Amino acid sequence: MSVLTLTAQEEVTAPPHVVFGLFGAGAGAGWVFDALCDRVVPGAAVTLRAPLDPAGPPVEILGRIGTLRPGRLIEIVHDQPWRGRTVLRFAPHGSGTRVRLQSELDQHGFEWLLRRRGHAVRNAPGDDPALGLLTSKSGPGSLFAAASDNMATLAAEEINADGGVRGRPVELVVGDDATDPTTGVHEARRLAAAGCRTILFATTSATFVAVSEAMAGTDVLLVQTLMNEGGIDGRLRIQLGERPARQLGAAAVPLMRAAAGKRWFLAGNDYCWPRSTHAAAREVLPRLGGRLVGERFAPLGTTDFAAVIEAVDRSGADVVLSTFVGADAAAFQRQCHEYGLHRRTLTLAPAMDESTLARIGPAATEGLHSVSGYVESLGTERNTELLARYRARFGRWAPPLSTLSESVFEAVHIWRAAAERAGTDEPHAVAAAMHDTRIDLPRGIVTVDGNGVVEQRLYVAEAVGTQLRVSSSG
Amino acid sequence: MTSDLAFDALADPVRRQILAVLSETDECSAGALAEQITSVGRTAVSTHLRVLRVAGLVAERRAGRFRYYSIDPSGSARDVLALLNQVFRSGLLAVNDAVPAAPEEREQSA
Repeated sequence: MSVLTLTAQEEVTAPPHVVFGLFGAGAGAGWVFDALCDRVVPGAAVTLRAPLDPAGPPVEILGRIGTLRPGRLIEIVHDQPWRGRTVLRFAPHGSGTRVRLQSELDQHGFEWLLRRRGHAVRNAPGDDPALGLLTSKSGPGSLFAAASDNMATLAAEEINADGGVRGRPVELVVGDDATDPTTGVHEARRLAAAGCRTILFATTSATFVAVSEAMAGTDVLLVQTLMNEGGIDGRLRIQLGERPARQLGAAAVPLMRAAAGKRWFLAGNDYCWPRSTHAAAREVLPRLGGRLVGERFAPLGTTDFAAVIEAVDRSGADVVLSTFVGADAAAFQRQCHEYGLHRRTLTLAPAMDESTLARIGPAATEGLHSVSGYVESLGTERNTELLARYRARFGRWAPPLSTLSESVFEAVHIWRAAAERAGTDEPHAVAAAMHDTRIDLPRGIVTVDGNGVVEQRLYVAEAVGTQLRVSSSG
Repeated sequence: MTSDLAFDALADPVRRQILAVLSETDECSAGALAEQITSVGRTAVSTHLRVLRVAGLVAERRAGRFRYYSIDPSGSARDVLALLNQVFRSGLLAVNDAVPAAPEEREQSA
């Protein structure tokens, strides 16, 4: 992998310990030093809001603090929009400091920037089977998708070490929907033009639905790997992942018991998955004894949730069903905690994932619950092995795994097993072979029936610090 | 620039080092470049510069018997690398704005 190291250097009129102390302090010291970071300690989540798109909002570089030498060095290990390290070095210079920044740019990052700047980057189809991954490397979804690319890369490398697909190595081609359905359509078309006959989606359902419609009549198999509301028909459309009605069915009673109350408030982002999940809640919750006391939506990309939080407070809700995702979910939860909502309510967030929890920070996750087919702390033997291989490959500061990102690892393996069974990577044959299957995965046994409906064990989990710990399963 | 050619060109550590040096300056003579790239000899640096030039990443200007190199201004690579450099530099420049006044200045103003 080719990595370019870019360097910048400036002299600052204050001694090194003072300049070092400005990092993460929100002191108006420019986008690099004004990194969003609760604590400047190794392992802490850090967000750099880089003005890389002069015409648009800042691009969020998501990572963690790696090595730290007080007064001398800060290393940021980042994963979005590309993998690399950015290192700040502080050296005495007269009575001031010389600050030197070194930032790594790999080939994927370089390509990503070229595309973001509107340059054509050619992707010619090769001879080997190509598998597409459409994920969110920018926008609010880049948070929940932080480990998706890593998961696909790990699965593809393992498959290739094991003989590839029918003896040929698989080439993984990754696209970024920027958490925007229109961009997603462009990127999916690019992946298809690059020879991908199957594209895996680790994006919001809004992107999957848009691409599904835009690519109707195209011979490309589209597979949504992560939790979704279902409802997309077609022989070349497969939606793996958890479904809202079953998730709510598994979590509603334990949550009402824990909250010692039955009043629910529904709050989420304004697009298809939250709307469908709320529709399922209106059906499932009353049946289980719940009562709905309010509902609010906010567009994806919202940063101020004061109005929603006040409405929840006024409603007297015992449980909040939160269907916010990504950066919105992180901001909503932090603001709820700041408001003190956790003292009166519990929150069930079906799409809450460990990398979003890392951004919320250990102090503000109290009372937060999720329901999914996987959590990183799952003690299955296959998961323990997967985590060991993931850390060995991507390092200790790589983002945590979650049901959203781990679903990508599993989908790559499901695709490979189907292609092997079908004896081809031709999409119709692969799609057919992905039905009526039963596969042993890190999350446990997953079955796909003849209609493409997925069955898996669900876990209700509670946030403990930035981890999800299983509290009950069904 | 065709990206495949550019990525082949970027596959070599010496060529990446040359690009990193050039991305920090407007233009650099062959001699000055060779002084900064110490891992290989002058002839090898020239060979790498030719690969970068063919890939459309680097532009060459001749003046008498001297040759000067810069990141190809017409290329998309230039656009991206220049943007990154400018963005990182502006990020560091802003640090001075947040530096608290030195103690003696504070005493004088008090």
